[in-house]
Amino acid sequence: MKTAISNKLITEHNSGRKAILILFGLFSLVVSLLILDIFLGSVTIKPSEVIKAIFNTSHSEFQTIIMKFRMPKAITALTVGVALSLSGLQMQTVFRNPMAGPYVLGISSGASLGVAFVILGFSSNITPETLSGLGNWILVVAAWAGAGAVMLLIMAISSRVKDIMTILILGIMLSGGISAIVTIMQYFSNESMLKSYVLWTMGSLGNLTANQLNVLLISVSAGMFLSLFLSKMLNALLIGENYASSIGLNVKFARTVIFICTSILAGSVTAFCGPIGFIGIAVPHIVRILFKTSDHKVLVPGTILMGGAVMLFSDIVSQLPGSESVLPVNAVTSLIGIPVVIWVILRNRKYSGSF
Amino acid sequence: MSPDNNMNILKSVLILLMIIFSGCGKSNKHAVDKYHDSLNEIERAGRFSLEKKNGVTEIKIIDPWQGADGVNQVYYLMKRGSELPKGSDSSKVIFVPLKKIICMSTTYLSMISAVGEEETVTGVSGTNFVYSPVIRQNVEKGLVMDVGYEANLNKELILKISPDLIMIYGIGSESSGYLGKIKELGIKVLINADYLETDPLGRAEWIKLFGALYCKENLADSIYKSEVDQYIKLKSFIAQNIKSRPKVMLGLPFKDTWYISPGNSFISNLITDAGGEYLWMDAKSSVSMPYGIENVYLKGLKADYWLNIGTAASKNEISNVDPRLNELPCFKNDNLFNNNKRITANGGNDFWESGSLYPHLLLNDIAEILHPELFLDRELIYYKKIN
Repeated sequence: MKTAISNKLITEHNSGRKAILILFGLFSLVVSLLILDIFLGSVTIKPSEVIKAIFNTSHSEFQTIIMKFRMPKAITALTVGVALSLSGLQMQTVFRNPMAGPYVLGISSGASLGVAFVILGFSSNITPETLSGLGNWILVVAAWAGAGAVMLLIMAISSRVKDIMTILILGIMLSGGISAIVTIMQYFSNESMLKSYVLWTMGSLGNLTANQLNVLLISVSAGMFLSLFLSKMLNALLIGENYASSIGLNVKFARTVIFICTSILAGSVTAFCGPIGFIGIAVPHIVRILFKTSDHKVLVPGTILMGGAVMLFSDIVSQLPGSESVLPVNAVTSLIGIPVVIWVILRNRKYSGSF
Repeated sequence: MSPDNNMNILKSVLILLMIIFSGCGKSNKHAVDKYHDSLNEIERAGRFSLEKKNGVTEIKIIDPWQGADGVNQVYYLMKRGSELPKGSDSSKVIFVPLKKIICMSTTYLSMISAVGEEETVTGVSGTNFVYSPVIRQNVEKGLVMDVGYEANLNKELILKISPDLIMIYGIGSESSGYLGKIKELGIKVLINADYLETDPLGRAEWIKLFGALYCKENLADSIYKSEVDQYIKLKSFIAQNIKSRPKVMLGLPFKDTWYISPGNSFISNLITDAGGEYLWMDAKSSVSMPYGIENVYLKGLKADYWLNIGTAASKNEISNVDPRLNELPCFKNDNLFNNNKRITANGGNDFWESGSLYPHLLLNDIAEILHPELFLDRELIYYKKIN
């Protein structure tokens, strides 16, 4: 008996060490991808020139490219990957649904509705000039509100309907309904409003102004630190709400905090980068497979690192290094994410044990 | 094999040759007319041909949309009241002169005006975008209806107008699909491919199509000839008098993608003729190409002038698209000119409406921007300086 317990402790200890090793590996992966993302782009610049541009203050044209184009884009990619993957992980746990994610459940659509209201609805008062100052916060708060509203709706429904598939289908219906409303708003708006909205929906990482990047960084960091403290709640919720309340967790409070966190993460990204699909749903699964655990103390940092790595990788691919053309980053994330999602669906039976 | 068949084979071989040669992107852009056969009355336009046989005008629209390859759409124009030959396909026959026309693009309006047939325009897609003051008055009087756009076409209204012809632009093989129902009801639909012409004079030559449709061939020919004369005179004046060729960049980025007009496009031909050097002259393609913004920015550092800057009306609007663009020398030196001097409140732009018919005015505008010393007392028509 005694040996059995100590054996178990040893395995747990070992798996903990293993997890730390993997986390460390992931961290180095993120760092190298971040560096690679800065070194590779549609303009071919010699590595020595890149290093000079980073450390040298001389005014070469490459310096502008590196410091004003690639750096902000790489940081945006990292932030977006972290935010979307974390919100995906949290949703999958709260809904206890492997298919949950900001894109699939209509959270991104909700954020886009908020943005549409700002750009298309009241834009007689909000000119592009105001949008560049305080407007960034208006945009992001509208996106949070939209994302939060959809989250609340889904939460209300899921408290009555337990079936995972039903909630997923409802999410798709919600997205459909929202996009119909947005279509009507587009139909009645003038050309310049329409253009700025359509531009927004295209989704991109490389177009954030310094101001916008600051807003994004602040919101996502807030969401990220909140998530690190939520691991215990997430673990309890994963086992079941009854269990969670039996160990003294205020389920309603926990859910609300997690929902706020998710809305901030998914909403901020959607506000500035447009809807970016399938990262939120796919990354948590990759992480679960990698760590073979459902402990959020491991999953949360794992997801943060993996999300950043996958998004950086997508950005590098979308730049098609060496060619003058670029691909939309949305297409790349979908191509990476969709196979993972299909794989999860196909082996869902074997997998549903962790939910 | 009948001689007629032989003729057809010969023609398709010629067209094939034309496609192959134009695909090679030869710098000699006027070479196209060599490959038209002698019956054809079209000199420069590469996307349509016009032949007269026994009182019937055969119009052939060649590759009517971007990326079309070997697609010909043939129409026969017959005098109003004449009888169809037995067994002929009536859907291909258009009776002329037209009395009522619906235009799915506003670019056709200036050509219709030029042949003096504005009152035949009874429907337009997007009346908000019409620049022509006469047509706009007619819209206000209720003489010109808005028939909606592609997916939202007001088919009942079109049936009520029952025009002799709907002129559309082709955007793909499926583009005629949205008018399938209309065609089924016997309304004639003609694809106008003028926007695909890369030779500015070739685009203007489409006036001959309207000459044929309204039985005013002589008028159309003389408009075209005078346009050619003025353009060529101006072009050689520019070529003889310029001392340098300023470098030119175009457009605005969409997020971090910048769609670049290739070096064999309508606008790059105008820039070359106007004594400028387009920075993407080497890019040969039939469509705009998505380039990474850092790539374009790097090249843009060399640009002396920046033209056709999207819909921007002020430097502020450019900064709002991307503040990094402020760093470009042409931005700092205020060498920004946009082609939106003549626009409607809703963004309809006369550059595309009447500019197609008067390429010598476009040429003159661009030449004046690039070489102001040659045109001291002239005011810009389509372009304005962006401050």
